[in-house]
Amino acid sequence: MPPPATLTPPRRYGRVNWLGLWSHYRRGIHRFLDFAWESLGGPCVFTLMFLAVFVVAFGAEREIAPGVTYTSFIAPGLVMFSLCYTAFEMAGFSVLDDKNNRTIEDLLAAPLSPLEVMAGYVLSAMASAMMSGTLVGLVVALFVGLPVQAPLTILGFALLGTLLFALLGTLVGLWADKWDHYSFADSFLILPLGLLSGTFFPIASLPELGQALIAFNPVFYVIDGFRGAFIGYAETVAWQGFLLVALLDLLLACLVWRLFARGYKIKA
Amino acid sequence: MEMRSFSDRPPAPRVIGAVNWRGLWTLYLKEVRRFLNVYTQTLMAPIVTTLLFLAIFTLALGRAVQSAGGVGYAEFLAPGLIMMAIMQNAFANTSSSLVIAKVQGNIVDMLMPPLSASELALAHAAGGVTRGVLVGLAVGLAMWAFVPMGLHSPGLILYFAVSASLMLALLGMIGGIWAEKFDHIAAVTNFVITPLSFLSGTFYSIERLPDGWEAIAHFNPFFYLIDGFRYGFIGHADGLPGIGAAVVLGVNLALWLLAYRMIATGYRLKA
Repeated sequence: MPPPATLTPPRRYGRVNWLGLWSHYRRGIHRFLDFAWESLGGPCVFTLMFLAVFVVAFGAEREIAPGVTYTSFIAPGLVMFSLCYTAFEMAGFSVLDDKNNRTIEDLLAAPLSPLEVMAGYVLSAMASAMMSGTLVGLVVALFVGLPVQAPLTILGFALLGTLLFALLGTLVGLWADKWDHYSFADSFLILPLGLLSGTFFPIASLPELGQALIAFNPVFYVIDGFRGAFIGYAETVAWQGFLLVALLDLLLACLVWRLFARGYKIKA
Repeated sequence: MEMRSFSDRPPAPRVIGAVNWRGLWTLYLKEVRRFLNVYTQTLMAPIVTTLLFLAIFTLALGRAVQSAGGVGYAEFLAPGLIMMAIMQNAFANTSSSLVIAKVQGNIVDMLMPPLSASELALAHAAGGVTRGVLVGLAVGLAMWAFVPMGLHSPGLILYFAVSASLMLALLGMIGGIWAEKFDHIAAVTNFVITPLSFLSGTFYSIERLPDGWEAIAHFNPFFYLIDGFRYGFIGHADGLPGIGAAVVLGVNLALWLLAYRMIATGYRLKA
């Protein structure tokens, strides 16, 4: 009688299941790249259309502040909008799709902690957003002179903005029971936050009530700081905005983490 | 000995005349219920998006842009935005219906029943037109709350709303039949439909374009849809509404023939 085949010993890992997290993350990236026409092409076309319309309708060389042309004002805002929106879409889509297909059970059964499950969704959405944002930035730079004054600040605000929207997307994905709910959050929360954020106009051009309201929109600080790092013209103090949104990101991350830990709408 | 009661007799086949009215109506109802079922995505989302666009463009451009026709920029912009919503939704209705049916394989449920190619085309086109017109109505009413819109010529408004819905519904059918997966139809939306609808004079009078581009705009059928539709509201057009009406009629006839041929020959529908 042959000796029993030796069993593979169980894999040992420390405090973080790196292999599991990496697999979860890579799955998100694949999901993004499988729909490249939609996920990379869409934001590029959308951004170029806006640029074209604004340049034709408004005149490219009109200045909104001394030395700041209108096109150079909206270009960084459009890039940031793509970054944020892609992060939201990827996170929200992935969570809800996994819930609908019940593949989320595979994640819950795997040896991944709630924090790791959340991190996989959030980090893959952020990385996807950085890919589409970089592409959009390059495409925009073909048509509009895009100075880069403070590269590290640009990266910092890009990470901050994509983190905010990846967390919001995860939250919406957890909350939504069907695509109609997701679309509701998209239309009534995310698009207004993203579009009424000072991407397209300096807030000084708003009526007083509008100026007061926009101060409550965190995206405004992200876009303003991001734009300032490109063109050196900003309406807020960059580090104050950064801290404010970083704090918000932290609070939101804690909330989403607790929801995963409690199994909100994902465990019976 | 065989005795057959009345109820044992097999039902006689339904006699269908020249047109299978019941089949046509059933398929049309399916197309309409498909989008009404998800009204958040199909009716409310366009309203919100359009109002956001209105806010952005009037805030950013309102004071800077001299619009044509002696009306304020918001009044110039509003009809164009309504038309954009009509076009995107009519296209989405037929294209998504066909691509989903093909990907899921339930397209056979449509090809097997006694429905002719023209009946299939008509039911889908009518579903797309219904969605386009309903979205146009909903978006228009919502916009009316913010922008004073005149009604210079209701007949033309209706003509161009229906023509636009039909044109985009037919394009959606052609795209949906051609596409083999969702990504294909996304490519058509992103690289054909969105650019054409953005660059067709929705946001500015095409008189603002450089000379060469202004001439090119006249080859874009979407330009006539938006221009004629806007004329119905503000009584001013960049082109001639009568010529626009004829152009869109011709384009729609050609698209109908193409869509009909694709279904009749079974292009990418039958193995």
